[in-house]
Amino acid sequence: MLQLDGISRRYGDVVALDNLSFAVRPGQMYGFVGTNGAGKTTAMRIVLGVLEPDAGEVRWNGRALDPEIRREFGYMPEERGLYPKMRVHEHLVYLAQLHGVARLTAEKAATQLLESLALSERAADRVESLSLGNQQRVQLSAALVHDPAVLVLDEPFSGLDPMGVDAMAAVLRSRVDAGAAVVFSSHQLDLVERLCDAVGIIRAGRMVADGTVDELRGDAAGRYRLQVRAEPGWLDTLAARVPGIVVAEHGPAGDDEVALVDLPPGTDDQALLDAARALGAVRQFTPVRPTLAELFRSVVTDQGAPAQEEAA
Amino acid sequence: MARALSFREASRLVARREFTQRIRDRSFFISTAVTVGIIGLVVLLPRFADLGDDSFDVALVGDSTGELRTAVEQQAETADIEITFADDADDAEAAEQAVSDGDIDAYVDADAVYVDQSLDSSLRAVLENAYSQVEGARALADAGIDPGAVSEALSSATLRTVTLDPDAEEREARGVIAFFGSIVLFGQLIGYSMWVAMGVVEEKSSRVVEVILAAIPARALLTGKIVGIGLLGLFQLVLIGGLGLGLAAALGAVELTGPMITPVLLSLGWFVLGYAAYSCLSAAAAARVSRQEELQNVTTPVNTVMMVSYFAAFFAFMSPDSPIASVASIVPPFSALVMPIRMARGDAAGLEVGLALVFMLALISVLVVLAARVYEGAVLRMGAKVSFRDALASRRSA
Repeated sequence: MLQLDGISRRYGDVVALDNLSFAVRPGQMYGFVGTNGAGKTTAMRIVLGVLEPDAGEVRWNGRALDPEIRREFGYMPEERGLYPKMRVHEHLVYLAQLHGVARLTAEKAATQLLESLALSERAADRVESLSLGNQQRVQLSAALVHDPAVLVLDEPFSGLDPMGVDAMAAVLRSRVDAGAAVVFSSHQLDLVERLCDAVGIIRAGRMVADGTVDELRGDAAGRYRLQVRAEPGWLDTLAARVPGIVVAEHGPAGDDEVALVDLPPGTDDQALLDAARALGAVRQFTPVRPTLAELFRSVVTDQGAPAQEEAA
Repeated sequence: MARALSFREASRLVARREFTQRIRDRSFFISTAVTVGIIGLVVLLPRFADLGDDSFDVALVGDSTGELRTAVEQQAETADIEITFADDADDAEAAEQAVSDGDIDAYVDADAVYVDQSLDSSLRAVLENAYSQVEGARALADAGIDPGAVSEALSSATLRTVTLDPDAEEREARGVIAFFGSIVLFGQLIGYSMWVAMGVVEEKSSRVVEVILAAIPARALLTGKIVGIGLLGLFQLVLIGGLGLGLAAALGAVELTGPMITPVLLSLGWFVLGYAAYSCLSAAAAARVSRQEELQNVTTPVNTVMMVSYFAAFFAFMSPDSPIASVASIVPPFSALVMPIRMARGDAAGLEVGLALVFMLALISVLVVLAARVYEGAVLRMGAKVSFRDALASRRSA
């Protein structure tokens, strides 16, 4: 398991990370989201040992990271970077060798990887002669060529077309299925929600939400959309009959009225339905599952939110 | 199975990449060819220049007896120069016109020689000797003395030259080789330090540095880069030195003997030291910026020091006995270019060489530590130029 434990880091007077903790299991895909400048890249650089933390520790399977362990890590930085003049295959072999892979093994791995990404024909071309999409694929190969147990990818989906997104997602999924721990950051929250087993939301260097998307929904899981045709004022009557409910929003929908109603934990949703039916014709009664994007907005804009949830 | 690389293994991998990538670069081939071409020109030029210098067109005005002409011919033969007489310019006016027009080099009228601007020294000697011979013989004859007996008496009273320092000529030749060595060395130091600087910025601007540093420490990357590029520089220097000496020997400009190869070896040795110092400076300077456009900005001080070294080397070649030359040959990093010349000529005392080496090595060890810290502190900071203070203050990456 990859664990970040109480990581802090400043740049001069700017606090980039403040006591950040989270964990990623092998075979788990972890989405790391936050606004620009929240500290995602700094956290990833610290995991890779490119930066040193001021405080805290990163561990893999309980051991503090050292070069021997980091050799098992693969990294795709946000700012894509390869030697423009090097040839694709040669470049991948070089990077694998820097991770301690023997030359022949490295050559074999690079050849296989290029084949699986449909880049075999470009193996002898210079990196700079490839299209941006293909360069992106080479960049991914560069993170994978030494068969890492931990993959850290900073914005791997940015700049990809829909086909590229699918291909990238498939590669990451196959690595996770093979037992790798994968962490990636992204602003495409629908993608994170679809792909990730767990999500961490970071704001101003602090973890403000961490867990599965269902866990993050938490209280918000008790929200229902209720569409009823009834006498005006029925909502007040409903609130009086079902204690503890909160009407988050309401408004007309043709002759009906639609309301978003939050149910306190432990309340039976059928009681709400019965009470509503007693007041008029119920046209719609649906549990509302907020998307990750909605959760993100509420967590990130809610300045008064509790500081932090402990990492699992 | 795979394991993390040691510092040395990581540096060696980086160095191998730098060497093999760059030796295949077209610019390496071109710079080698250009340098060898320049050496070829330098060796060949004097031979072409010689041909033009030894022949003169001269008019003798009023030499009705032809005595002067005979004397000039004799002297010219002795001095091994060729003189063509312009017979059509036989009056002073025509001769003056011919000199002004550049048709002839000089004309002699009565007791004066007329030239347009200056008189070549060998031509002057020939004309003066011939004139005094003719006029002297006439004066002797007027005084009733036999000119033949006098000239016989004079010709037996010549002065021999005995060289007390038989190696002087050879030392001079070695100094010349070392001087050319220093010019090439200067080019190599400028060129290869610049390659280090450009390589550092290339990694920063292409952001590949982050991928590399996720695998190996910054110091291993820096070390490998400097060593790899330096080995390539040394290889090119050996190539240039070999081709240059071979060319010079083939054309008969120098004889290939041990003493002539020594200055080349000296230059190689001092290249290693000078490169170590300058490449550290260049790498540290380059790590501060993120774009090639800004590179000029930060490497100017380094290049200025190199230019000053170069002029010091030139000065040491022209006036080897000056105290400034001795000082410049001891103080690093100037010593890298100046000392090879003084050593080749045998001007430098053993103590001076020892001091120069000690100072140079001391400077290098300080620069290596400083450069590594600046590099580590600055190489991941993209965007605006990083100040030395910030770079040194920033915590090191692992």
